Order: sequence, then structure tokens, then C-alpha cells
Amino acid sequence: MAPLLASLVFLLAGAADLGAWRALFQHPQLVGGLLLSLFTGTAATVIAAFVALLIAASFFERGKDTTLARGLSAMLAVPHLAFAIGLGFLIMPSGLLARVIADLFTGWTNPPPWVTTHDPYGLALIVALAVKESGFLLYVLTNILAREDVRQSFAAQKAAAQALGHGTRSIWLRLFLPQLWPQLIWPLVIVFVYAATVVDMALVLGPTQPPTFATVVWSDINSAHVDDAARGNAGAVLLALVTGAAIASMAALGWTLRPATRWWRTLGPSTRTLPLWLGAAKWRGLQVFYIAVFMTLLMLSVAQLWPFPHILPEHIELSAWQQASDHSSSLVLSLLLAIRTSLSGLVLLVLWLEFVPERWDRAMMTLSLVMLGLPALLIGLGQYQLFLRVGLTGTGLGLYMAHLMPVVAYMFVMLQGPYRASDPRWRDASRGLGVGRWRFLTRIKWPLLKAPLLASVAVGFAVSFGQFVPAQLVAAGRFSTLPMEAVTLTSGTNRPLAAAFALLLMLPPLLVFLLAGLFGRPRWRAA
Amino acid sequence: MSLQLKDISITLGHKFLIAPFTLEIGKGEIVTLMGPSGSGKSSLLSGLAGTLVAPLQIHGRAELNGHELFALPPERRHVGRLFQDDLLFPHMTVGENLLFGMARGNRTQRLSEMRTALKEIELEGFDDRPPHTLSGGQRQRVSLMRSLLAKPEAMLLDEPFSRLDTNLRSQIRSSTFELLKRRGTPTLLVTHDAADVPEGGKVLRIEKGAVTHA
Repeated sequence: MAPLLASLVFLLAGAADLGAWRALFQHPQLVGGLLLSLFTGTAATVIAAFVALLIAASFFERGKDTTLARGLSAMLAVPHLAFAIGLGFLIMPSGLLARVIADLFTGWTNPPPWVTTHDPYGLALIVALAVKESGFLLYVLTNILAREDVRQSFAAQKAAAQALGHGTRSIWLRLFLPQLWPQLIWPLVIVFVYAATVVDMALVLGPTQPPTFATVVWSDINSAHVDDAARGNAGAVLLALVTGAAIASMAALGWTLRPATRWWRTLGPSTRTLPLWLGAAKWRGLQVFYIAVFMTLLMLSVAQLWPFPHILPEHIELSAWQQASDHSSSLVLSLLLAIRTSLSGLVLLVLWLEFVPERWDRAMMTLSLVMLGLPALLIGLGQYQLFLRVGLTGTGLGLYMAHLMPVVAYMFVMLQGPYRASDPRWRDASRGLGVGRWRFLTRIKWPLLKAPLLASVAVGFAVSFGQFVPAQLVAAGRFSTLPMEAVTLTSGTNRPLAAAFALLLMLPPLLVFLLAGLFGRPRWRAA
Repeated sequence: MSLQLKDISITLGHKFLIAPFTLEIGKGEIVTLMGPSGSGKSSLLSGLAGTLVAPLQIHGRAELNGHELFALPPERRHVGRLFQDDLLFPHMTVGENLLFGMARGNRTQRLSEMRTALKEIELEGFDDRPPHTLSGGQRQRVSLMRSLLAKPEAMLLDEPFSRLDTNLRSQIRSSTFELLKRRGTPTLLVTHDAADVPEGGKVLRIEKGAVTHA
């Protein structure tokens, strides 16, 4: 975490250039870009939260949380960038969606003249973010609701509330949601910051006139002109300040509305029930989205000729995959980085959790959440400036470090709870049997914790595999990872190759999640 | 006001956990059902309240003031419950807990009714206190009053005194029974402790799945 703090210091020092700030405030896309960023970020967060809550409540009420958990890990494994590329191809006027509509309903013979990607309001970007982030929020919610203490407490509270005349909708809104809220605040902040500051997805799907502010900043940072780069630096700080101010305003609004929410909570019983079918339908909808994105990418990557409105390509060939194999060095580099960072992240975190007293976890968790809650642009830039000073920019070690930092942050958030919650009586029982620490760890503790350990490795792998902004900056043109190649390809005309790259981005994390699920499954049952 | 149970049974698969029995509980009457742990007492209350979880099932007919209970979802049955745990909602104050179950209406009237209720259970001025600052006995009294303020047409008490210490227990027990009788609420109390039985009240026992008069 030391690099995070150092990079922020360097970034803030770099942002003291008054000329850059003056130039930034004269930028013609400043206001429009910022408003778009806030709009897309807020809309995506609100929709994702609504969808996730409804699905989680519906599955909790029907006692089918385990079905949800299985499907979720596959969704989480899909990198944002790969999903955005697939969604773009799915909803473009000549995409699979328009072909299905033409075939079933409208009989179009030509693609409709609609703007579906790069639309001026960022609607395509909002849809992509909402679908991806609802998976993340759902993961957070199912983890909370799967805890035995929460499950029992909510079941008892529900029985009590029903006896007082409250239906399930009222129970979720008045009882469960306020109790879940404190644990949802950070994930929501992370989602909002990510959605309002995302670069790679915005480059693929977002508006262009004006673009979101993150892409304005990104363009400046990558400019060959020193003045533009300095303006980009100031822009990254401004973006962080504006998102921070937006979060503070929302918190203030929430605080102001507290008396109203308390009044509403005690308004009296309402017998209305939760529309469980809607939650189930939304879950199916999410699954269909992912399957449609996958199918679109698969068909496009092998389509030689795919005239509109045919649902299937007329001729299939593998030339895009052959072309993709020419770029195998970027795939190998991304794979090596993902394997190295996730495994070294695991070693670092296990060492921390074994040897550092638990009271330090709070500081580490705060830093991890800060890392996840700050715009990637800001962290990427800070890292770039730090690495530049210590000679790491454009080096393999620098690239590894740029990938390792977010990986460790995500893995710590995932692993800390389950690792610290492991029953201390196992250690006591082992000591009583004369078992040493190493044998206890390898034979008892780690096998018992293999599910969270493997899950955290899978998350670390996926995070590393999808890294774009920090990697691109630190690589300084000397290295090319898969996400960098994929972003470049989406702005070109070779759609089959872009689709093949998106699939290449998608498949390794999916495979790792699958393996983690398979090997992490316990072969025992708790008494 | 009366609660009529006709041929009520609880099954687990094809087996009877409680064999069919019939019972009528009149206005202000408190009937006690006794039996050992695991005999199905709490399941019977869950079945009557509509919160029994499969594979357990309740059969028969239950009428509350002429309404068939099993045709209604739990929140429309008007059956209050008091549990072993007080189940006060931790994110609400004492006053908010009481208001939570009270029918909608004029805010001022509801607040006044809530404060009168707190006075009735000797907790005047406790409306803004969070539940965790109350003693076990105080919490159980709030829980009982929360149920009563929802104006239930019948009450189901599931060993509500079992977690209270001996001194407090008899005091809370008598005040609870007195309140329920005063309000004329037909009540079914389940317990495994003979000391909980109200004086002169009807007592039933569950033995090997059969409900018999004691």
C-alpha cells in the first residue's frame, strides 16, 4: 500500500501547476463531460442497486441463494472491457439484437438508422455498467445474506413483522434494507466512482460529443504535448474531487432526509408483498444478457459473411482467430501477469493475516477501500509519476507492480473476513495434539479455508487480467497487454478480430473462476 | 372474539408430529400447551401464524372470529406473536418499534397512543431509547406491547418468559396475562415450565404427538 500513498503525494504535487488548471477550466468539454460522467455514474449505480436488491430479496425469500451464488461467479469473472465490447456488438444497428427483432417482429431488411452505441446520453454505457455492477452488488448482498447469523436474525424479524401485519415488501424496505445499508455504503461508493470515472468501457460504448470527462482526461494524458498532459493531470484530480463532492452531497442529502425515512419507517403496516417473479425475471434477464453477449462475440469472431438480417453467419472461418494468434505475446503477457500477481497477492495476504495482529486490519481495509474507491485514472497517474521517478516506468517490474496493487486490494477485501473468522478452537485442538504451526496451516487451516483462498485468487486473476488504465500508463508503449490491444481494436474496422480479443479477455478468468469453484468445493459437511 | 382450531395437525412428510386435535379459545382466555422440547409446540404456533417452513405442514381448520386463517397470508391473519427472544428491531428506537406495528392514521394520535402504552408498561419516557439499552424484562414488555398495539385478534406466546431471571419472570408473567385478559385477546401459550401456567387456565399436553387435556 506504500506505493498508493506515495503515488497520491506525487500526483498532488504534479497538480499544483496553475497553468494546467487554467487550461482545464477553458476546456470546451469540461462542463458537458463532467455532467455526463455524473449522470452515467449515478444512473448506473441506482439501476444496479435496484436490480441487485430485488434479485437478492427474491432469492432470499425463496431460499434459493445457492443457485444465485453459482451463476454469479461466472458473471463476475467477465472483465468489464470484454463485456462492453460484446454489448456494443450486440446492440449495434446490425447487431444480433436488431437481427432477432427483425426476424421476430419488424421484418427489417436493413439495419435501423439508430444510434445505439456512443449515444449522446451515454445510455449504452449506463446499460453496460448497470448490468456489470449489479453482479458485483449482488455478490456483496448474497455474501451478507448467506451469513448464518444474518439469516437467522432476518428470519426471526420477518416472523415478528408479519405478526404485526407487514408484508414482505414492507419488511425488506423498512426492516432489512436499513440494517443492510451500512454494509452497502462502501460497495455503492466503489460502484459510483468506477461508473463515473471508467475509461475503457467509455471508449468502447460511451458518448463522443462531448465524451465523459474521464475519456477527456485520458485523451489529454496520452497526448504528446506536455501542456495537454499537465491539463490531464489536473483533470484527473478534478474528476476525483467532483466524484468526491457528489458522494458528499448524496451523503448530506441522506442525512437531511433521515427524519423523513424514520417517519416513513414507522408509518404503520403495509401488507403489500415483494414481486418475487420480477426478481427472478431480472436474474434471468441478466443471464440472457451475458449469454447474448457471449454468443454475439463468438459468432462475430468466426463470421466471414454475415449479411443483415440473418441471425447466423452464412460462412464461418477462423481468420480472426489466426490473426489473434499473431498477437499471442500480449495474451501470454496478460496471463503471466495475472498468474504472478494473483499468486504473489495470495502469499502477501496470507503472510499479513498470519503474522500481523488483527487490529491492523482496519488500516489495511481502509487503504484497500480507498484504492478501490478512488478513480483508476487518479491512481494510474500517481503510480506513473512515482514509477517515473524511481525508474520503473516502462519496465517489467513496474508493469507487475501496477497490476499487483489493485489485485492485493481486491483480494484483501475478499479474504480478510473469512480468514479472520476461522475458528480459533481448531488451532487450540491441534496444539493439544502436539501439531506445529506449519502442519496446522497446511493440514487443517488452509484446507478448511480453501474456498475463500481460491475465490480470492480467482478475483485477483480477473482483476489483473482486465487492468487497463494503470497498465497502459506504466507500460509507456513498451509492453502491450490484452486489454490495451482490445481497446485499440474496437476503434478499428476489423470487428471479427475485436470480437476474438474480447473472447480472449473473457475466457481465462472464466476458466479460473470455474476451477476455483470446482476445487474450492468442500468435501466435508459442518456438524 | 374466539380462536377455533378444528382437527389441527402438524406433519413431517407422512408422519404426524402433532396428531389432529380440536380446541376453542374464548375471549380473554389463555390456554397453555405444555410439552417437552422438540414436541412440535413452536411449529404449531408457526403454523397458526402462517410462517411454518417446509417440509413441516399444518392441516385442519383454524377460524379467528369467523375468518378462515389458513386462507390468509401471515400479515393478514391478525395473529400476534411473542417469542423467546424479544425481537425488537435493533435499528429502531423503542418508540419506533411500537409504532411499527400500529395501524396507519393520524400521526399525533399514534404518537399519543404509543406514549400511553409505554406508561402502561412503566417505561414512560423511553421512546427515544435504543433497544440495547434496556434490560431483558423491559425489552420483553416492549415486545409484548408492540404486539398488542397492532391490535391482534389472537395472541400466540412461544415461551416468552423462558429467558428472564426468576424474580422478573413472575412479575412479567402476571403483567402480561393481566394485559391480555383486560384486552380480551384469546391466547395460546406454549411452555415446558409448569410455573408459567396462568392460574385457573386450561392446560393441554403434547405427549408422543397426541394433544390431551391435563
